[in-house]
Amino acid sequence: MQLNKSKSIRQLLTAATSTLLAGTAQHVMAEEKIPWQVDSAFLYYAEKDRVTVLEPVAAVRKDLGDDEFIGVRLVFDSMSGASPNGAIPTDTAQTFTTPSGNSTFTTPAGETPLDDSYQDVRAALSGEWETPLDEHLKTVIGANYSTERDYSSVGLSANLAWDLNKRNTTLTTGISMSHDQVSAVGYIPVGLTAVPTQSGVQKSLQSMEESKDIKELLFGITQVIDPKTLLQFNITLADEQGYLTDPYKILSVLDNNGQLRANDPYIYEKRPDSRRRQAVYLKANHQFNTDVVQASYRYYQDDWGISSHTLNLHYRYELVGGRHYLQPHVRYYIQDKADFYHYSLQDNNIPTYASADYRLGDMSTTTLGLKYGLVLGEFHEFGARLESMKQQAEGDAPFPDNTAIIFQLNYSFLY
Amino acid sequence: MPPAAQALQVEQHDDYFCCRFQAMASPCEILIETADRQLAGQLGQLARDEAVRIEHKFSRYRDDNIVHQINHSHGTMVEVDDETADLLDYAGFCYELSEGLFDISSGVLGQAWRFDGHTAVPDSASIKQLLCYIGWDKVNWSRPWLALNDGMQIDLGGIGKEYAVDRVAGLVQQQTDCSVLINFGGDLYSSRARQTGKGWHIGIEQPEYTQSNKPMLANKLLEISSGGLATSGDARRHIIKDGQRYGHILNPLTGWPVVGAPCSVSVAAASCTEAGILATLAMLQGEQAEAFLDTQQVPYWVVR
Repeated sequence: MQLNKSKSIRQLLTAATSTLLAGTAQHVMAEEKIPWQVDSAFLYYAEKDRVTVLEPVAAVRKDLGDDEFIGVRLVFDSMSGASPNGAIPTDTAQTFTTPSGNSTFTTPAGETPLDDSYQDVRAALSGEWETPLDEHLKTVIGANYSTERDYSSVGLSANLAWDLNKRNTTLTTGISMSHDQVSAVGYIPVGLTAVPTQSGVQKSLQSMEESKDIKELLFGITQVIDPKTLLQFNITLADEQGYLTDPYKILSVLDNNGQLRANDPYIYEKRPDSRRRQAVYLKANHQFNTDVVQASYRYYQDDWGISSHTLNLHYRYELVGGRHYLQPHVRYYIQDKADFYHYSLQDNNIPTYASADYRLGDMSTTTLGLKYGLVLGEFHEFGARLESMKQQAEGDAPFPDNTAIIFQLNYSFLY
Repeated sequence: MPPAAQALQVEQHDDYFCCRFQAMASPCEILIETADRQLAGQLGQLARDEAVRIEHKFSRYRDDNIVHQINHSHGTMVEVDDETADLLDYAGFCYELSEGLFDISSGVLGQAWRFDGHTAVPDSASIKQLLCYIGWDKVNWSRPWLALNDGMQIDLGGIGKEYAVDRVAGLVQQQTDCSVLINFGGDLYSSRARQTGKGWHIGIEQPEYTQSNKPMLANKLLEISSGGLATSGDARRHIIKDGQRYGHILNPLTGWPVVGAPCSVSVAAASCTEAGILATLAMLQGEQAEAFLDTQQVPYWVVR
């Protein structure tokens, strides 16, 4: 229209500018640097009197130019401490064998039995490759592998994102699959059979190793409402098949008097060998002048009877100077139990499936946290996050509260 | 009134000094690859003095300078000094070259458009009225004499900061052979490659709503060894009305914001001033910004 775009004005402009500046100008040498982004973090998670996790994470992401990226992420977890084995507290001391069957431990009267042989190291490696297929379509291909003493997992994923409406709308669809191998210490017991109460007594073994397969589908839409507001909506559908039981978890079996039955007072848990689950997720991001608020809600449901609601709220409060910020965080999670969740079982009334894992019970989790972020120079960022979490029973299952402290340091830079 | 002293901070880094000050409504810095604190301090002072001089001389927000005199001349002739005349010649040349898209008399449009995010789109009648006071072709410029029609104004804000960067570069290069980066609010100039053979690293900010997930890669990283780099555009200044986003780049020929303009355009060129003009002209091309820059065969980075 006005300026004919096929016409170069640059030579004329260079000459005129050179006259104005009396010859300061010189040859131009500028190019885009394509750096590595390096993210590192260290997480400390400690439950009161229970599990402690130390988790270092390192990730690199490289911009290959033309909107193509590759990324690799490495995570180590070191877990130690005690975890509830599923048995209920009683008026007298209780003795249990450890999963290996080689030793026993005793829980004092009135206390929730915790198996303190819980100790493991996990390493996880994942990679992804993001590449545009055309101007409005991109794909992300990912793979991951993790391994620990009694568990390993390998997975693949592929996502497609399609930009519409001048990039104000993005439709996403994805598929992921994983194959997990479960190989418990002391092998895999037959579900609902007796737990040995003395060391050296053999339990009924189902196998040395079991596996499960998970397939997941994702559909999503992301909409820019205005330049400061973003809405995201996702649906995920998943199907799990195989050994979904926790080979270490047990249940207490009570007699008609409400006491542990004399013979075989504990049995191994057993869960169905398939699960279908669905979740919807809605997230809104809004930026005020400098502050950013992010709110999300998730509804989850599966054919085990579990349903849950999760509310998450972050508020990023920019501190004076704009180089650092504070971000309070609130999360609330509430769950309805699985149909086969039982705090304990009744003698002569053993169902087909049963678990006393409190994570399948009626429960809620409340998390409060605060993060401090500091931008160091243009390409370095440091953060520290402290959160406290409380899990508690809802309804009539009287399992005790679990509280935890989470502390994370992270440092990111461009290299 | 003597110019108020602007605080100058001098910081030592690994292999360079950084001098910071505030001028032309922007954070300004000059990086000098030297271990000599005294030299760094001198160059910092030189840069600050020149930036403050140019701001005082050409800011349209002051009432004691040549621009104020011109804008309040009510149609009478004003005689200008050589430096002002050079800038007016240059602005006139850019007006011709861009067929009216670059116009230092378009500042009066600011009376109708306020880009503070509020939904206030002016009516076309008031814009039409303002267009009578816009157009370098309506100006009587015969060096060193300038006469504006009553009601017209000039604003050198569109080239002032870039011009200051290049002027400082010229002065600094008379004093030292060290590699120096001058950065006035994102408009910059590097005198030469650093001793490592590499350039200085510069980040280009991306629109903020995309930053929530990848805060750092969202900033493009540029390496500049020599020459100028200027950025036009600001993702934060806009109006939204009826779902249409109006950016803050106004077309002086229509009085309306350019449709389809990128969030920002960065251009590298031999000087910062030239880079700034090319970046501004590219913004004014709207959807065609990239095509225009391809034709000019300059390194550029467009954020949409």
